[in-house]
Amino acid sequence: MALLDRIFAGADAVYGLTVGAIDDAIAKYGEEKAIAFPDTAYSLPIYYGVTGTKVKTLGELKKATETLKALNTREPQLHDGLMSGVATALGAEFLEVLKYIDNPTPYEEPCSGHLPDAIIRDMGVPLVTGDIPGVAVVVGTAPTADEAAALIKSYQEQGLLVTLVGGCIDQAIEKGVKLGYGLKVVPLGKDITAVAHVVSVAVRAALIFGNIEPGNANGLMEYTKERVPAFVNAFGPVDDVTLTAGAGAIALGFPVITNDSNNIDAIPQTLIVQPEVDKFNATSLEARDIKIKITKIDIPVSYASAFEGEIIRKA
Amino acid sequence: MEEFKLTTYEQLQEDTDRLLETAEKVGANTWQERVKNQTPHCKFGENGVCCRICTMGPCRITPKAPRGICGCDAHGIVGRNFLRFTAGGSATHSDHGREICHTLHIASPDGDYKVKDEAKLRRLAPVFDIDPEGKETYELAHEVALAALEEYGKPFGYQKMTKRATKERQETWLREGILPRAIDREVSTAMHMTHMGNSSLPEALIRQALRNGLSDGWGGSMMGTELSDVLFGTPKEIETEADLGVIKEDEVNICVHGHDPSLSEMIVEYAENPELLALAKEKGANGINIVGVCCTSNEVTMRHGIPMAGNFLSQENVVLTGAMEAIVVDVQCIFPALGPLSKCFHTKFITTSDICRMPDSEFIHMDPTKAGQIAYDIVKMAVENFANRNKDLVYIPQHKQKAYVGYSCEEIIHKLDGVTNSQVDPTGTYRPLAQVVTSGVIRGAVALVGCNNPKVRHDYAHVELMKKLIANDIILVLSGCSAQAAAKAGLLDKRAKELCGDGLKRVCELVDIPPALHMGSCVDISRMMLLVCDLANELGIDTPQLPVVGCAPEYMSEKAVSIGNYVVSTGIDTFLGVQPYVAGSSECTELLTNGIGDWVGATYYVESDIEKLGDMMIERIEEKRKALGI
Repeated sequence: MALLDRIFAGADAVYGLTVGAIDDAIAKYGEEKAIAFPDTAYSLPIYYGVTGTKVKTLGELKKATETLKALNTREPQLHDGLMSGVATALGAEFLEVLKYIDNPTPYEEPCSGHLPDAIIRDMGVPLVTGDIPGVAVVVGTAPTADEAAALIKSYQEQGLLVTLVGGCIDQAIEKGVKLGYGLKVVPLGKDITAVAHVVSVAVRAALIFGNIEPGNANGLMEYTKERVPAFVNAFGPVDDVTLTAGAGAIALGFPVITNDSNNIDAIPQTLIVQPEVDKFNATSLEARDIKIKITKIDIPVSYASAFEGEIIRKA
Repeated sequence: MEEFKLTTYEQLQEDTDRLLETAEKVGANTWQERVKNQTPHCKFGENGVCCRICTMGPCRITPKAPRGICGCDAHGIVGRNFLRFTAGGSATHSDHGREICHTLHIASPDGDYKVKDEAKLRRLAPVFDIDPEGKETYELAHEVALAALEEYGKPFGYQKMTKRATKERQETWLREGILPRAIDREVSTAMHMTHMGNSSLPEALIRQALRNGLSDGWGGSMMGTELSDVLFGTPKEIETEADLGVIKEDEVNICVHGHDPSLSEMIVEYAENPELLALAKEKGANGINIVGVCCTSNEVTMRHGIPMAGNFLSQENVVLTGAMEAIVVDVQCIFPALGPLSKCFHTKFITTSDICRMPDSEFIHMDPTKAGQIAYDIVKMAVENFANRNKDLVYIPQHKQKAYVGYSCEEIIHKLDGVTNSQVDPTGTYRPLAQVVTSGVIRGAVALVGCNNPKVRHDYAHVELMKKLIANDIILVLSGCSAQAAAKAGLLDKRAKELCGDGLKRVCELVDIPPALHMGSCVDISRMMLLVCDLANELGIDTPQLPVVGCAPEYMSEKAVSIGNYVVSTGIDTFLGVQPYVAGSSECTELLTNGIGDWVGATYYVESDIEKLGDMMIERIEEKRKALGI
């Protein structure tokens, strides 16, 4: 199936899920029920960034799905594919915010779910100075847990912020990779929609540090493309929903690297098929043009700014 | 950075109108006036049903007289005229190629002509069944040149360059009996077939038109292009400018016009000669400025970034600026009007080829063995003419646009290498292009080529189609006067990416190219044929399956018809914006717009409504994508 058709199919699926979930929530709580992510001044940050509108209630959320519908145009052009990707990111954010109704902590350790503004402000300076040279968004389940752990550690050693979505979280835990914001390895959540929480980070970075006016969608995408050195590693099999989420990443200027060569049409420097997971790191850094500033020192333990927040406990 | 804006037709029209005022003042005759005098055109000729190939005629077909004196009907007459048109175009390109072969044959390490791209020479040698191993450069060059010249009149076998097409194309051409034999033979066969009392069967005449076209595209033109690269260097990306604003008021202006790069290359070289520059200073000029018109311009802009003053219908404007010390021409598409026109100014109109002799010109025979001296003499003549410029008549329109040119196949691959990921992709291939096509980031490609024609508002069809196609994520490859129309409008500026759909814009940004790639002169359409065949190979399909079409929206010359025939035969649907002279025969029209599809997998589409023509191309490209499942 043509790549754009797959993206459109994924976007349609997410749109359907989103509308259905909101309708269910309205049936349960009513239209006036307040919705919000904790610890943010940016409402639903992705939606706020893209449209300039804050959403406070379920009724408003329902109305906001019209934006999704409007973005889901179906002309066979990249523009339409990317906009469907943006619509999917919004849909994911909507689905995620529903989890927070009457529940300030829907995510349990080690998963973070939504990240508070404070973390973004904290991360802003090292991102600008290059002390955090990039943000890796690792999605899905690696062929083996060893490969997942090795990939995460490789980024960690280079000082990148690593966010995890899906099966790779359990794989990391299985292999004893230490997780947590202090270690710059942040498991977001196990549903694909949890990817919205890292998109939210990029969007808030543009609003906070880039002074992008909320609602200036083009300026936002320009900023993230130029200034937020993120990329996505998506483990196969990549289904249509993951693919359309990938289109959202591409809209923000983030390349997607996958080991799934089945029915995926590669796009140079944008959607790259790399069958070998142990080459994801090199492929990704090259694709996002990330140059690592750190000199590798040959010592028997890992060495990177990511370990600065590590707490050493007594045995 | 100043704001990017396309030059509008209104601006171009204003410039032209102002120059036509000068024409009126000096009593010069221009094409605008001559078009009026010739309108309306003869309907019999327009429909292709007038036959003058024997002295029993001229015969013309009407409902009352459905057959000529010999008994030939409208289908036979139209078919013959179409074939002769093709033969004229094929002969023209092929003779151009032949001159280049001869030039390569006299190349020497200390002569005027040298081998500038030895690697390309060595790559080409095996195409001519020559093993380059261990051969000295010039020994090999002469051997290749001789082998190339033999392609023109060899008694047996087919064109060797055709082996570079896809396997399926070669099989198709052989099966359909259109695999071209010796180049000159195909022209002769065409002339023979169309003689009184020979072929009058449309199918046979059009089949030969395709074969004759192929002997041009995969014979004469291709050798012209490839061996020009060997001699003068394979084009690489280079920045230049276009439109009349490139003419300089304070310098000696020399316009090169025509097609064969052998002379213009030398002129470009001697424009930098210190002795001549000193002479220019002495005469009160601040330098020597070479500009170009038509395909000679394309040749020197592709290799040296020489600015393009204009295309076919701008040639008189160049002289009308009053600031042209010399207009030096070689062959093809040169208005004989330039002779009388230049007499109204101080401009020297210099003809140089035995093929192209004109009244009211100074003829300097271009002997390639004395090319350097001849170029020196011509430049000197222009410099000395600077003092004769009548300042009262000088008006140089100030419009010009930045342009990036030089996109040979080699350069396109080089640019594509820039977007490969060293962990995944090979370099030196069209794979990234194949990927953006397959993924739908760009929907397809259109090769926009061809001339200007007063039947269409100057450059309007070219530029309007280009704007529409790039907005729909369709990348353009251009040559000839189409490329110059784009350059003048500003579409060869990399900032033109802003006019593209998101997909093409992204490709332009990543690869760092303009949305329309200038691939060279009209013989360089052979580059496009190699590109489509190599791209088809990369995708593992044959050329008719590619979401690629060709288009000549303002075509005029016989060469364009020959080009159309080889492009269609190479499996690329070809869209024409000007009616060919075939309307008088339903059978020939049916064959060209449908029937030949069964032979070669592609046909002609004719539509003079430019808006519709663009829609048809987009629709065809989407159909091809659908068929491929991409």
